[in-house]
Amino acid sequence: MAIEPGEELKMEIKTLIMSTLNITDVDPMDVDDNEPLFGGKNAMTLDSVDGIEIIMALQREYGVRLNDQNLARNIIQSINSIAEFVAHEKAAS
Amino acid sequence: MTSIPFSHKMGAHCESGTVTSLLNHAGLTISEPMVFGIASGIFFGYFHKHKSFTFPTFIVRNRPGDIRKNIRKRLGVEFQTYSFKREQDGIAKLDELLTRGIPVASQVDFYYMDYVPSWERAHVNVHFMVVIGKEGAEYIISDSYFPKPERLNEESLRRGRFAGGNMSPKGFLFFPQDVPNEVDLKKPILKGIQKACFNMLKIPVPFVGIKGIRLFAKRVVDWPKFARDTEHLSHEVMKINILLEDQGTGGAGFRFMYATFLQQAAEIVNKPGLKDLSSELMIIGDGWREISLFAARIGKNRDLGPEKMKELSEMIMERAQVEEEFFKKLKQSIK
Repeated sequence: MAIEPGEELKMEIKTLIMSTLNITDVDPMDVDDNEPLFGGKNAMTLDSVDGIEIIMALQREYGVRLNDQNLARNIIQSINSIAEFVAHEKAAS
Repeated sequence: MTSIPFSHKMGAHCESGTVTSLLNHAGLTISEPMVFGIASGIFFGYFHKHKSFTFPTFIVRNRPGDIRKNIRKRLGVEFQTYSFKREQDGIAKLDELLTRGIPVASQVDFYYMDYVPSWERAHVNVHFMVVIGKEGAEYIISDSYFPKPERLNEESLRRGRFAGGNMSPKGFLFFPQDVPNEVDLKKPILKGIQKACFNMLKIPVPFVGIKGIRLFAKRVVDWPKFARDTEHLSHEVMKINILLEDQGTGGAGFRFMYATFLQQAAEIVNKPGLKDLSSELMIIGDGWREISLFAARIGKNRDLGPEKMKELSEMIMERAQVEEEFFKKLKQSIK
């Protein structure tokens, strides 16, 4: 069953991504939780190189492993999908 | 003709994912990491100069086709294979097999798979996926890189199957013809590990296995000499990230998938030491991921001076050291 992540976790993830990628000119409130992070019109305008930085930051911050790149590609699609994954992994551990 | 009932699953790697899906469809329950491990998929090869490559490069898995061939040898699965000189014969054979209700693996150039977002497409002649049906002028594709079956028009599949160039697919098709319902995995697992250790430690050529990782570490500092300009060098250095992470490696150049295989194998062959080695390989994989990230960063920032290239070289050399120790322990553990 999917676990509904809280707003606090979503904000935490946005802040983590921005500090990891040194994004200073975007307000986290302007980042749409549903908007694709890559190849879309997201306020953060990320590219594929940023993806691996996000995966490693999630591992460091939450102890969650995203070893499978195909799975990772689906999970790091948006703030919502990342938050759902982190909430699920935290609940399972 | 419509879609053949087929349980679509995502996979980490196209060839092992495709072989696993087809074996599962034929009634053999086996995981993708188990297929990869039994087939001795983990590997390393560095090519500083090679007729097939215009720039030095490396590989992190065995040759395309070896997963299927090793599964045939070690699990006793018989595969029917076809390749074609004439496109029309290849198209007719695929349609005939689908009409008979047989899902068929197809080798294609990834670039022509229209369901792949344009920014992810690249010309790679050794992509594998399963064709599971046809509706009108569209084929239904189970591609293990994607979460659900996709559709592909006839022309795109034709171009993908009959693309030219290095390792051209020649319309190659395969499917398992004879699959045992149950297999004792103990012997195949041990054989797969033995061969992987041999490949990494013993092949007497300087560019393969641990020796290959060391050669990569030594020669990567020379890459600027081969590049036309900074843009070209940046592109090639960033490819290190793509080769380790983005080309269906399961992450960290297949090290994570092999670690999962060892975790699963420990129970089956009753060697708990393999679980510790699995954890060790996960950490080794994290080191490869650090290399991947470092290469992506310096490439993206065009920060490719001698100091950075030396730092990259040292990181790779450290992987050679830890992998040598790891594979020696792995070899001992199955004696």
